[in-house]
Amino acid sequence: MTLSLRQRLGRYFATYGVWIVMTIVTLLPIWWMFVVSMRTRVELFGRPNLALSRLFTENYINVLTDSAFQRYMTNSLIISTSNALLVMALALLATYALSRYKLAGSDNIFFWLITNRMAPPAAFLLPLFIMFTRSFRIGTWTLYDTHIGLILLYCVFNLPFAIWLLKGVMDGIPIELDDAAGIDGAGLFGVLRHVILPLAAPGLAITGILSWVFAWNEYLFAANLTSVHARTITTGLAEFVTVTGTNWGELAAMSMITLIPSAIIVILAQRYIVMGLTFGAIKE
Amino acid sequence: MKRIFVLVLLVAFALLANMSLVTADMHDWWADAAAPYAGTTIRGVSESTPPSNYVADVLAAQFTELTGINVEFETTSWDQMYSKAINDMEANTGIYDFVYIEQDIIYSYLAQDYLVNLTQFAADHMDLAYAEYDESAFTSFADYFKNADGDLFGVPMEAFVKVYLYRQDLFGDMDIQAAFAEQYGYDLAPAESFEQYRDIAEFFTAYGESMDMDLWGTTVQGSTGHPASTYEFLESIGPSFGLYNWGINLETGSAQSAHGGALDGDTAVEALSYWVGMLPFAPPEATSSTWDEVASSFAAGRAAQGWVYGENAAWIATDESRSAVTGNVGVRLPVTAPGVIEAAEMGEGYIGYYDGGAFGIPHSSRNKEATMLWLQFIGQPSVQAEWAAAGARITHTATFDDPLIAEQDAKVDGYYTLLEEQGPLFAGAPPFPFHAQVREIIDPFIHRVILGELTPADGLSQAAVAVDEELARLGYGM
Amino acid sequence: MRNPRTGWLLLSPTLIILLIFGFAPFIYVLVVGFHQWNVFAAEDGLLFNGLDNFRRLVFDEDFLHSVGLTVRFAVFAIGSQVVLGFLLAQLLTRDFPGKALFRIIHTLPLMVAPIAVGAIWRLLVIPGFGPVPFFLDRWFDLQYQIGSYPDQALWTSIIMDIWHWTPFVTLTMLAGLSSIPREPVEQAKVDGASRFQVFWYVTLPFLRPVLLTTVFIRIMDAIRTVDEVWMLAGGGPGTRFTGIYIWRVVFPRTDYGYGSSISIITLYLTIVLCWLLFIAISGRRKGDIE
Repeated sequence: MTLSLRQRLGRYFATYGVWIVMTIVTLLPIWWMFVVSMRTRVELFGRPNLALSRLFTENYINVLTDSAFQRYMTNSLIISTSNALLVMALALLATYALSRYKLAGSDNIFFWLITNRMAPPAAFLLPLFIMFTRSFRIGTWTLYDTHIGLILLYCVFNLPFAIWLLKGVMDGIPIELDDAAGIDGAGLFGVLRHVILPLAAPGLAITGILSWVFAWNEYLFAANLTSVHARTITTGLAEFVTVTGTNWGELAAMSMITLIPSAIIVILAQRYIVMGLTFGAIKE
Repeated sequence: MKRIFVLVLLVAFALLANMSLVTADMHDWWADAAAPYAGTTIRGVSESTPPSNYVADVLAAQFTELTGINVEFETTSWDQMYSKAINDMEANTGIYDFVYIEQDIIYSYLAQDYLVNLTQFAADHMDLAYAEYDESAFTSFADYFKNADGDLFGVPMEAFVKVYLYRQDLFGDMDIQAAFAEQYGYDLAPAESFEQYRDIAEFFTAYGESMDMDLWGTTVQGSTGHPASTYEFLESIGPSFGLYNWGINLETGSAQSAHGGALDGDTAVEALSYWVGMLPFAPPEATSSTWDEVASSFAAGRAAQGWVYGENAAWIATDESRSAVTGNVGVRLPVTAPGVIEAAEMGEGYIGYYDGGAFGIPHSSRNKEATMLWLQFIGQPSVQAEWAAAGARITHTATFDDPLIAEQDAKVDGYYTLLEEQGPLFAGAPPFPFHAQVREIIDPFIHRVILGELTPADGLSQAAVAVDEELARLGYGM
Repeated sequence: MRNPRTGWLLLSPTLIILLIFGFAPFIYVLVVGFHQWNVFAAEDGLLFNGLDNFRRLVFDEDFLHSVGLTVRFAVFAIGSQVVLGFLLAQLLTRDFPGKALFRIIHTLPLMVAPIAVGAIWRLLVIPGFGPVPFFLDRWFDLQYQIGSYPDQALWTSIIMDIWHWTPFVTLTMLAGLSSIPREPVEQAKVDGASRFQVFWYVTLPFLRPVLLTTVFIRIMDAIRTVDEVWMLAGGGPGTRFTGIYIWRVVFPRTDYGYGSSISIITLYLTIVLCWLLFIAISGRRKGDIE
């Protein structure tokens, strides 16, 4: 189809018009967060000014030099990354099983797996708290306030999503490929590693990314199931809201800093995100 | 000249020598007493406020150096502080060795027998008793952490009252004074009655509008998404009208006037109507304001007067990095209805909530002895003044006389003097074992009254019925 | 042939984790839901009270109101996200310079922690320091106070959710669109179908599984939303969604019994809703096979 120059120009204009508007709408809150992070408490009040008046970096310095913040950041990195890796591994195995084996009631299992994500979190805090502090106790060690506790718990929310996503990907990989590899003498893990893994890679990547982001951003469970040692960055955010005034500047600075790791991951993984998010819509 | 210099030097030396002796003594006692517990770690939870942060950053380090006992301090948000402590104590898990007890929740904790009786514990462990720590040195605020026998269950760590703040620069402005006198027929001065308060609020709101300034007549802690509004009504406005104990009669277990309660009574309706009537004179953020936003609004110069928690008074008056009205903050007792002060003086009422908190030891703690040492450490007189300067909190009567506080006092228009002299007019929260439960019940009604969906009378009568239902459900009702 | 036991073995780590951390707490909540239990009650401990909690719930105006609000929130937020996400995904299927940059910018909100989203939006909309009420007042003379007008609070939380989650929908839609084979579309165009007809008869059926799955996931998450709205408006009138209502009952009121029963009902309603969607999706899959 050929378009005249005017039509093409018009199309460009429309496209860019929409995207410029969208970009402004998307960035406005983030920009405002950035502006707030660059202001003292006094400057925040009065007539709002969307422009950046000056580079005031004290909020960032305060946050970055705070040892508690550094600990929260490390904890968050450990928990999110471990959780993402665990979820990727478990979901790969689980979806392979669901896709390749005739398991009794596998449709129901699949649906039950997904329902785990639906639970309203508030009421589940108490049983989880009791479980973390009492059921998993070895001597003085408990699951409470540990990395592993949150890593396992976040599986409850990330696995359903991951399995759902990967199930489609897995179904899309022709079973003949497994069989061919099997004839060539590859065992189960050989097939998984040399056939499934490369083909499922985009789906697996997006699974990992979304799991990572969820774990990185989760607040309610992290706040209730950790105390000092395993506290995450989001619980640190809530600390700024106090009776004697919310320290919006530092809160915004910390939010900006927490945004950076996730943003980097997204930028690096742009390609996979779209390739992977097809929920089984891939039909060769 | 030279001689004076030598003299000064000598005195200084003498002082230093003396001090180091004292510190050495102290050092020995703490080290000895703590010897069996050195190396243990005690853990506590508190809200991340300046007084708590001072404990976490300064006092904990000092204590560890003296005793070898490590203190892990979890600072968290206001909601979290309650839920985490309650979960721990209810499940008897022993995560925390000391918890922050907001004064209003103490009776709930006592009713559930969560806390160690500190008076009793000290008597049973004479070897741990630090000579400088004295329960009777606390202000009247400590009375609200005691049971019926007068035994203490928490070492007070912060205490405030909600005061009346006003802008001295505005109230002192000649043109404003003239305009006010002309309009209302009397001189502009800090309000002494609710009528005056209302007039002033109305005047400054109109003034702000006419001058195109971001200025309103009063603060209102009227958040419709937070219990803060219910608290301002029940704990500050209500008592100043003579509505006590949230209008709930503990003996009959009812909030309804028909059964001995007062939540739907005339006084309550009058108080709520008055308070909601202040909303038109409050800055637009009032309906989203909790305690901290009220303080921020005032600090930003957006209100000419208001009810502001005392912990904020100090920074509003002095901290230029946070407040635009430093040096212009006047502090007075909150306005009260006729007869309320007299009743409070006679012990038959109170004019507002004596706010604050203490550290207590849960029964579930596994390091009670080490924690008792820690609580005595933060409860001893010598650490109080600097802590007070850092966090605007005073819990010892002696702290008022400290030069550091006297200096601060002048900058905050006598807030500390007011706390010292009139503090006893304020009282802790009503002795309810169901504090948070009933507050949550009243909350939505107050919110709807603020929004104008219910009249004050309707809102309160519905609230009283709902409270009675909840009390019955909890087993405290009729 | 493939041995089902190997299959179960592969599935077992997942099942074990979910049984322990998902199912066991659920059983606990289920049991507590049939009891009267408030730790600050005069009488301590769990008292079995049969279906009383559920009876109370049916007449609990606050709960019913919260369900109504949640439904409005979910319908408007997810509806807008789907429409907007689809249109943006359409635009992204074209090639134009700078596309990658736009896509990255558009994905950013997804990466912000919900609690930070709530905080940013609070900063945007609270009078006194927020630019939104300030400029609405100055340019359009509009009174915008989420604390005073519940409807505004509701709409603000809907818009906030749209801001936060549209990128997710855009990405899934884009994935769906890019996997549609070209031939049927071209064929339809050759046959003289209008743009709308192409969309309705060709694109949409291909997109349906992705569309429904996306909606499904968004519904699950929208019903559970707590953090963002909590930070934004504290769950006052207008934003007291079911998730927040449960939180208030369970925590400050410590009414664990009642809170559990509300959770069970909410979970049940969510499952039923999702089951219907699930059937719709798998129905489509069967159609493919035939």
